[in-house]
Amino acid sequence: MRYSLTAMLAAALLASTLAQADSGTALKNDTLRKEPYNDAKTSGKLVRGEKVDILGKQGAWLNIKTKSASGWVRLLSVKRATGTGNQAAGVLSVASGRAGTGQVVATTGVRGLTEDELKQAQFSESEIQLMESYSVSAADSTKFAKAGGLKVIKLGYLPKPVATQGDNP
Amino acid sequence: MKKHTYACLLIALLSLPPQAMAFDLGGALKDAVEKNAGDLIGNKNPDEASTPQAKTENNPLADINWKSPTQAEEIKLGREITGNLLGAAPLVKNAALQQYVNRVGRWVASQSERPDLPWHFGVIESEDINAFAAPGGYVLLTRGLYQRLQNEAQLAGVLGHEIAHVVQKHQLKVLQKQQLLSLGAGLLSGKVAKGNQTIEKVIGSGAEISARSLDKSAEYEADRMGLILAARAGYDPYGLAEVLSGLEDISPSDGSIALLFKTHPAPEERLTALGAATANSNNLTGGKTLENRLLRLP
Repeated sequence: MRYSLTAMLAAALLASTLAQADSGTALKNDTLRKEPYNDAKTSGKLVRGEKVDILGKQGAWLNIKTKSASGWVRLLSVKRATGTGNQAAGVLSVASGRAGTGQVVATTGVRGLTEDELKQAQFSESEIQLMESYSVSAADSTKFAKAGGLKVIKLGYLPKPVATQGDNP
Repeated sequence: MKKHTYACLLIALLSLPPQAMAFDLGGALKDAVEKNAGDLIGNKNPDEASTPQAKTENNPLADINWKSPTQAEEIKLGREITGNLLGAAPLVKNAALQQYVNRVGRWVASQSERPDLPWHFGVIESEDINAFAAPGGYVLLTRGLYQRLQNEAQLAGVLGHEIAHVVQKHQLKVLQKQQLLSLGAGLLSGKVAKGNQTIEKVIGSGAEISARSLDKSAEYEADRMGLILAARAGYDPYGLAEVLSGLEDISPSDGSIALLFKTHPAPEERLTALGAATANSNNLTGGKTLENRLLRLP
């Protein structure tokens, strides 16, 4: 326990140095945009495999710099370097404000549900009946989707990615 | 600025339980609920295994065919588990909200391979950040998670992840495995290997390992499927990734996600996995976010 804390502290110092100039690798060819929106003006191209610097994050967009250009791309287009690639890196990068955003949100002060509370919970027939009473029919949801202009598209599921050396699972 | 970062780091680290390394949007309440279900089913006391008649009387789940449960049995099990969870955290008393979540959820579920399950969705009264699926089509998310959502596509992504768990019967399979193994272990320890601790140990750790690896790969699979389900339904495919990305910024020592961090992969790992999975997909564009239709809580 003490050993792991020391190890984590050491890793934390490393992680925070990395946070100064976070880096990543392009997972696919993509278009760089001047702003984090699909229809924003383009500012360059991202080429699969090239190294990038990550400057910031907004929603599912990353602000990045390549050798030749800078701009915003979808977050899933870049694999961010995680240092050791183990679980600790994930947590530590949260603590250090991943992707250079520097945002560590103040704690909310919420105590949270505990496992004990869940284990001791009693079955509630009235609540489950209430939940079931809110269910809607498929026809109702289709009407709702139409009202929002949602159109069904055909898509197959994504295959499980083939892990390459050094990749996270 | 740098000093500040270090200070935050130290505070975060000092309050970080050493095992609190993982994260999940989908199944973090799962462990607790599975234990709960185990109690429900009545395998708490190994002696009970030899007297099945005794527990049938007061236990509605005792006669489930664990080898190949029917859809009706799956739903019955999910209802028990969900009812228990609702006993700990009741529904938010806001009919418009519950109906809205059901409409979005049902629409996304209709794009799945199990469109005809009696799907039920709900928001529970908890500031925790979590979502949860039980067998047979029961899906819950917390008020804490709901309030972080910025548009309907994000809600669709979160619900898509949970729907995928149900479609793939992830939780049901874990419960089945636990039940069958505990039955098998009972037989072995009673007849074959009384006093032979080696065999019991093998069964014990083998079960643990398979349950664990199933767990993690199941979460990644639900992420990949959830993204596609939302996209099939006409939503912007990046809703789920946006939510995960937002969770990266929460301090891991925050009480609202303590339970989640305890058992599942970090959001960053999940985003990297999703990035790798979508690396060859050029058709994940378009779709609606429907920011204005998201029902906002007062």
